[in-house]
Amino acid sequence: MAIRVNDLPRALTRSRRSTLFSFAAVAAVALVLLLVPRAVQSPYLLHVMILFFLAVSMGESWNVIGGYTGQYSLGHAAYFGTGAYTTLMLLQYRHIAPWWGAWAAVGAALVVALVIGSICFRLRGPYFTLASIAVAEIIRLIALNWKPVTNGAEGILLMDIPPLKIGGMLVTDWLSKAPFYYIGLVLALVTLLVNYLVGRSKLGYCFQAIREDQDAAHSLGINPAFYKNVALAISAVFTALTGAFYGLYIGFIDPHTVLGIDLSVEMVLICIIGGIGTNLGPVVGALVLVPLSEALRANLLARLLFSAGLLDETSRAGAFLKENLAHAHVLIYGILVVLVILFMPDGVLGFAKKLLARRSPGRVPSPSPGAVLGGPDANP
Amino acid sequence: MIVFLQSVLSGVLIGGVYALVGIGLTIIFGVMRVINFAHGELVMIGMYLTWIIFTGLAIDPFVSILISIPAMFAVGALIQKTLINRVLGALPENQILLTVGLGLVLSNLVMLFFTSDYRILTTSYSSSTLRLAGLSVSTPLAISFAITSAITALLYWFLLKTDTGQGIRATAQDRDAAQLMGINVKRMSLLAFGIGAALAGTAGALISPTYYIFPQVGGVFTLKAFVIVVLGGMGSVLGATLGGVIIGVTESLAAVYISAGMKELFVYVLFLIVLLFRPAGLLGRSRV
Repeated sequence: MAIRVNDLPRALTRSRRSTLFSFAAVAAVALVLLLVPRAVQSPYLLHVMILFFLAVSMGESWNVIGGYTGQYSLGHAAYFGTGAYTTLMLLQYRHIAPWWGAWAAVGAALVVALVIGSICFRLRGPYFTLASIAVAEIIRLIALNWKPVTNGAEGILLMDIPPLKIGGMLVTDWLSKAPFYYIGLVLALVTLLVNYLVGRSKLGYCFQAIREDQDAAHSLGINPAFYKNVALAISAVFTALTGAFYGLYIGFIDPHTVLGIDLSVEMVLICIIGGIGTNLGPVVGALVLVPLSEALRANLLARLLFSAGLLDETSRAGAFLKENLAHAHVLIYGILVVLVILFMPDGVLGFAKKLLARRSPGRVPSPSPGAVLGGPDANP
Repeated sequence: MIVFLQSVLSGVLIGGVYALVGIGLTIIFGVMRVINFAHGELVMIGMYLTWIIFTGLAIDPFVSILISIPAMFAVGALIQKTLINRVLGALPENQILLTVGLGLVLSNLVMLFFTSDYRILTTSYSSSTLRLAGLSVSTPLAISFAITSAITALLYWFLLKTDTGQGIRATAQDRDAAQLMGINVKRMSLLAFGIGAALAGTAGALISPTYYIFPQVGGVFTLKAFVIVVLGGMGSVLGATLGGVIIGVTESLAAVYISAGMKELFVYVLFLIVLLFRPAGLLGRSRV
């Protein structure tokens, strides 16, 4: 692994002007997004936006441990599922309102994270990845087999969420999509802020030092085990909150959807498509993935092929595609991962930066953290 | 006592097939230092290949390996040539993600063409049993164990005695040194991935008369193969053989004495214990 020490300070600092600019941009976008439910009546559009917020929150949460700390967890469904199951079980069986249950979910995810961290962080690199998968699978199998508590493979179907009242005043009765939209938006913004803070704080520098070279960081007095566990705890808490939100919004969870390895892969995917270890990477990843999977679900791709005259709808291949392409979003995910790893290992953002650098040779852009990591492509 | 011996025996028989999957993964890892997360999907493809040959051409699954071994070798070589070769120098994390993505593509392609229905391959001897010293043995499992043993023996002979086999082992030991000694490292990588895929496909063929065939079956085998390989020691062929049998017996005992639904849980717990206390595996040198 080639580490270019000279690039580190440049990667970690950025000019204040660009920081101000990006703050203003995020604030403007957030303001516009706040107004969307007032202007948009279509529940479908709101639904897609909520899915987008979910994807952003998942990606940003994973980014803390995977992107900034360099620990490629492929078992993050464990925290997502813990969050979803804790909140929904408390609501369903104990009638505890989700805004209290979510705290229990955070607590449960913290416990799971500390147990997993203390076991798995003794291992490095691919061994850590393998161990994280194994632990997530253990949790999934427990959820699948512990029928009296989790209802096994049937999952939990949420009946209704009690109306939220503050001081006798009804805030929302959860009947429209708007409250979910605002919660999703807040969650996405908070996880984005967490990533921003992790990127700029001393804590975050410790994470990044461990990512670049664990032994060197250790020799500088950074305790790798401690900081990795802190990073995992932060990541797990927000993954669990996202999971709780998912469970409440969709209203149905089962071990396969909220604890399966597909979900863990999806979280990594959101980050890798946008650019691992960058603030906005997961946002870009979500911007690519969510519309894509919705387009596939609505069979837009097949219709596009038909209207472009590339395929005849009535032909055998056309009928086949029309029938099956709607379920093929995971296939497209897989193809995307392979293409991104092969052709743009720094993600869409890293790729765009590289293109910009080529356009204007006078300006040297700060390399993305992915480039500092130093794959073969990162070397000049 | 009879129950215990019975479950140990069937564990050993199924463990032989697991060992084939594990050996394939360990050879690929040994030669290229790439952990193939799509290994279970290769097993799955082997199963579907056998099913197609069986339903289409009415060729017995155990005979069909004569077709599926070369076919799977070609698939493996193609994957190595087009994908793995490009990321050999990349970050291990990127290699993992590439093979994860490949696994998703393979399983979902199969789902696209064959739907996610469970298929069963029923032969005339699928449910027949042999009596052996007071214990009963499922006939297909016994045949597959015999074939597994023969293939494993052949593989050992190939790796230990032939020039090509020694070239593969030399590449696994030290890629640069092997290249300096005039070994065509690229060809060895191609061979290694081909052999790994062929072994996985063979395992799929051998297990198909006794297992459900569905597109997502690969995930289970990927995880099991890891457990086997880590247990035996990354890169050790002998270790993977041993690991396969241990996992087979563990599963079988857990299924009989605890609960069939929980047998995989015990495999993963065993995996974590080994990773924690003996990360180099039973027969491997430490690489952690």
